[in-house]
Amino acid sequence: MSLPESRYLAQRLLTYEAAAGKNSEATESAAFRVFAKLRRPLITLAGVAGFRSLLSRALTLARAEAPSLSAVQVAADGSLQGLDELEPQIDKEQAKEGGAILIAQLIGLLLTFIGEGLTLSMVQAVWPEAAFDGRVFEKERKA
Amino acid sequence: MSTADKVRINKLPTGVPGLDEILGGGLPEFSFNIIAGAPGSGKTTLAHQILFANATPERPALYFTILGEPAIKMLRYQQQYTFFDPAKLNNAVRFINLSQVVLEKDLDAVLQEITKEVEKASPGIVVVDSFRTVVRKALGRTTEVELQSFIQRLALLLTSWQATTFLVGEYVEGEIRDNPVFTVSDGLLWLYQAPERNSIVRKLQIVKLRGQASVPGLHTFRITSAGLQAFSRTLGLAGQVRNIPSTRRLSIGIPELDKMLGGGIPEGDSILVAGASGTGKSVLATQFIAEGIRQGEPGIVVVFEERPQEYAERAGSFGLDLKTPRHERKLEILYLRPLDLSVDETMHEILDAVQKIGAKRLVIDSLAGFEMALAPGFRADFRESLYRMITALTGVGVTILSTVEMNESFTEFPFSTYSISFLTDDIIRLRYVCIDGQLRKIMVVIKMRGGNHSKDIREYEITSKGVVIVGDRLTDYQRLITGIPVRLNRSGNNEEQLSKS
Repeated sequence: MSLPESRYLAQRLLTYEAAAGKNSEATESAAFRVFAKLRRPLITLAGVAGFRSLLSRALTLARAEAPSLSAVQVAADGSLQGLDELEPQIDKEQAKEGGAILIAQLIGLLLTFIGEGLTLSMVQAVWPEAAFDGRVFEKERKA
Repeated sequence: MSTADKVRINKLPTGVPGLDEILGGGLPEFSFNIIAGAPGSGKTTLAHQILFANATPERPALYFTILGEPAIKMLRYQQQYTFFDPAKLNNAVRFINLSQVVLEKDLDAVLQEITKEVEKASPGIVVVDSFRTVVRKALGRTTEVELQSFIQRLALLLTSWQATTFLVGEYVEGEIRDNPVFTVSDGLLWLYQAPERNSIVRKLQIVKLRGQASVPGLHTFRITSAGLQAFSRTLGLAGQVRNIPSTRRLSIGIPELDKMLGGGIPEGDSILVAGASGTGKSVLATQFIAEGIRQGEPGIVVVFEERPQEYAERAGSFGLDLKTPRHERKLEILYLRPLDLSVDETMHEILDAVQKIGAKRLVIDSLAGFEMALAPGFRADFRESLYRMITALTGVGVTILSTVEMNESFTEFPFSTYSISFLTDDIIRLRYVCIDGQLRKIMVVIKMRGGNHSKDIREYEITSKGVVIVGDRLTDYQRLITGIPVRLNRSGNNEEQLSKS
């Protein structure tokens, strides 16, 4: 089960990307764009092999919550295959939920390994115009 | 060429307490350095410390990781150190993984990738961890000349882009010869760790440093939650200016003993009080420090066998108030007991305390306790380091009283079991003596480097006021210093051995 903090942050990223997508001609899903943006700095930091390992683990954990992700695979270059193809096959909401769970699991692993401060700092570097600091989790913790 | 014409090499702080002094002021800016050592010796932590001490958003630090410790794990562990500033990450400090380029491509591609990142970021600091991996990988398919060329071009690139560089690698000492990396480098910092009986001893050496004079030799260091802390073997006192010797005499707090010393202890002397257990060495030392406080001279007491609170309370039982001056920061009682301290580390702690309160008097109670508090591997260095510390402190006018416990012998009268009389200007010997069926105590001033002193052997007692000298010199006995004196029969010429009477 993903942590409430990572679920919350994943949801915020998806909402942010969904809004950004409406203003552009992007055809990919918000989840796909969040992955693509997270992938770059994580590969810079951990290398392709390091990122692929993290993502594979996140996918395994996410499948327990969202069986629809069983069709999704991690490619050799650390990209996700099958995520955008989920929507036509299953219920749209279910597909969105699957993407959110996978992002939450990936963020959860980062929180576990490098902690809240560094994870948020990395996310902030990817989405500099969005405000992500320690306060994003306060509400979730209180709840 | 005049000094003004020479290029001035800026020195960067390492962020490691004590290391800048060992390096001769800091790291030469734009230098190309190697941090070498075995696994676990602290190389990565040292590199991080340097990185966080110097990285700014304008001149960031680039940390290239290559097939060594995975970056995620490195961040997980390194953020535990207090020097790790998360606010600098992605902004002033950037981690870049080059593993894949190294694995899949050749040295030219590695250089290209580094060049691309360096030109993009214009970094002030560049770290490649582990560089050893790059070289190992390259050796399989590269000639030695090509490898040397790569290192040369890398050094040129990073220096031209005004970066100070650190190549981190797990090297062994035998590799220094014939290895192009060591030839090209400006600086070589070698970290060691070795077990010494049950302790681990960490040492570092500046094997090479172009352009400035570093402190030669092996220096101990410790890794704590604050990262590395280095302890220069010269205790940071190299080149210290000595004070002009003072002619002032300091009261020891026992008026009759002051007279025996020719008016007190010459300021800036090192005095040794030697005697068996229970002869009052510690009491005498406490009186010396309490008298200093009374005269407005801050003091340090270094104890190894009892805690500061107990020490202050025991002084109180002799009417000596040490609690008030402790509270007023005029007195510091240092309790040094951990059994794995390095000698230089201990000396640094004492020196820091002396400088902090501007101490004029220092008591080391006792030298045996001091030696026992050190890790076994450091005991061999004890006398050498003690000599350096005493010389440095007395040179700036601190007066040092050390106590040393002697095995009481009734056939000999040794001054010290430590062969440390060369460390001391003055020696007071306390000893038991058997008189009239009682075990009494006598003292004698053995040596005063600064001048004349009383030759008298005086009896003393330990009372509620501390050490008190009683009566005049003992003129009715011979062989007092053997502990088994003979009473002189002045009416005739017969001698009577007291122990038989």
